[in-house]
Amino acid sequence: MTSSNVPPTSDQKFEDPLENYDPPNYEDPLEAALDSRAVSELQAQPCEIISADTTVADAVGQLAHLHHASLLIERDGKLVGMFTDRDLLDRVVLEYEACKDQPVSSVMTSDPVYVRETDSPAAVLAIMAVSGFRHVPVLAGDGAITGIVSPRRITEFLLEHSSPE
Amino acid sequence: MGLAERIGKAPVSELNLREMPRIESGATVRDAVQVMRQAGLGCAMVMSDDKPVGMFTEGILREAFAENPQVIDDPVTDHLAASFPKVYLDDTIDMVLSAMQVNNTRFICVVDSDENVVGLTGQKGLMEFVAEEFPRQVMVQRIGGEAVTGQREGA
Repeated sequence: MTSSNVPPTSDQKFEDPLENYDPPNYEDPLEAALDSRAVSELQAQPCEIISADTTVADAVGQLAHLHHASLLIERDGKLVGMFTDRDLLDRVVLEYEACKDQPVSSVMTSDPVYVRETDSPAAVLAIMAVSGFRHVPVLAGDGAITGIVSPRRITEFLLEHSSPE
Repeated sequence: MGLAERIGKAPVSELNLREMPRIESGATVRDAVQVMRQAGLGCAMVMSDDKPVGMFTEGILREAFAENPQVIDDPVTDHLAASFPKVYLDDTIDMVLSAMQVNNTRFICVVDSDENVVGLTGQKGLMEFVAEEFPRQVMVQRIGGEAVTGQREGA
């Protein structure tokens, strides 16, 4: 612990380290929205969550039945992966006979990059731009899965905030 | 110029376009899957006599494969989106956004003034544009609590 973390005594004045912080003042509406809004405002679509023990065949059926491009995979209530159209393309369709009865955890994208509800939309864009994930799970502070930001929602967000008032 | 204004004024040619994966119209779905895997992209353009006849996407694959896994040996032309969204090189970037929203797709074909396919853009290209135009806020974000070591096109 550094000295700055020591609580002040009663005769010392508390110095707020953010006292002189001036939040950015954006003239551009999209820049302001990217920086100041929260992921929770993106209205991350209700997401479908399945167990890591679900078979590959059942997971494929779920994707198609729901017309979703991704499913979140949980174990003991915690996010452990995603199963997406890309996983289907890359690891399942040409290997289906061998993998259809295996657990979806064997073909999912493990440990997906996620955001917290309180993160900014800029965090979602960073994940999409840098790491190339197009579906970004949203977690609450306690790790509970609360949603997923889809390409459609982020597109709507960009359009909504880049259009003239 | 702010980010919103740039999106409304900058041409599509300023986006980082990907090379469009192409397959011939006599190919099977299996061939298309292999081309898409090799390219690391979720779509391929089906061509006939150097003209695009339709787009095959991982969304089409999902629906067809779930119904019948044997579909991978079908001719790819049996499973095409005959109409696909396209933008021109000199269209503005906000038209890519609109095309993605209207068509509910991530993949937008880019053509030149002669209607020749010159590339592919979509969600990742747009996100990269925003990140480059607004790096102070986008590129400093935490990504899963640790540095990203690899690139992935889709998930």
